[in-house]
Amino acid sequence: MKRKDFYQLVSPLSEKLYRYAYTLIPDDLQAEQLVVDGFNAYLLRERKKILNKEINLEDKKEITLLRRSYFKGILRNICDIGVRRSIHFLEQMKDMRPEGYNPFYSLDPKVRFTISLRYDAQFTVEEIEEIVQLPRYEVIEKLHNGRFLLVNDMNKGLNP
Amino acid sequence: MILEKNNDYLSYEKKIIPYLDGSLSKEDTSEFEAFVLTHPEFEEKIKTRQLEIQNLKQMIPVALISQEALESIQSEMRTSVFNLLKEDPKGLFDNFRIRWEEWRNR
Repeated sequence: MKRKDFYQLVSPLSEKLYRYAYTLIPDDLQAEQLVVDGFNAYLLRERKKILNKEINLEDKKEITLLRRSYFKGILRNICDIGVRRSIHFLEQMKDMRPEGYNPFYSLDPKVRFTISLRYDAQFTVEEIEEIVQLPRYEVIEKLHNGRFLLVNDMNKGLNP
Repeated sequence: MILEKNNDYLSYEKKIIPYLDGSLSKEDTSEFEAFVLTHPEFEEKIKTRQLEIQNLKQMIPVALISQEALESIQSEMRTSVFNLLKEDPKGLFDNFRIRWEEWRNR
């Protein structure tokens, strides 16, 4: 695949990548930087695969599948870097949290990311396993815990 | 008998979220749907869970990016693609194309 074709495939993903980076670090500049770093890490890891990939640009189904696979790959690197980075920003993040999303940002970073991948991006549990690099039982556990804590918080808000 | 019924209920209750999630296997999904058909009162529980998930989605932030930030990310991505991926030239003209692309995206 030519580089310009690869760029054409991945550039429309930038908005969504930012959205999920923001669930890890709720700061405009930091989230932007996280997307760039995650993307660079993905390129370095997968450059041979990307360049060796034969692609038929007329085949819309193939393009869609390939774009989704790149999306997951880049998200995996964003998760990898972002989870570690969000731990460093733990103190500052208390002031960064956008209003109204305190319960969400009180969750563990990987739980936050897993929850948003499942309920916002609508990834399947199998796909999330690939992205967050955890076995299925841990993904299910994170989804369960995150859901439980958020729903609990929601009910507290309704019946204080 | 009552105990058996309770166990049945509990195991199907645990399947509501995976059913709504779409993470139940095909077999389990049909089994679950058959159970709901024979236990109409169970539908109420599903509706409650459905509402819970809808509310939960609203607790997830949807960060909107400014046009300026979007352009900045895309420009960084473009630079990275042309700097980090190195194509092997297939002939003289291809070599020129690669160099030209690299020069343009510096």
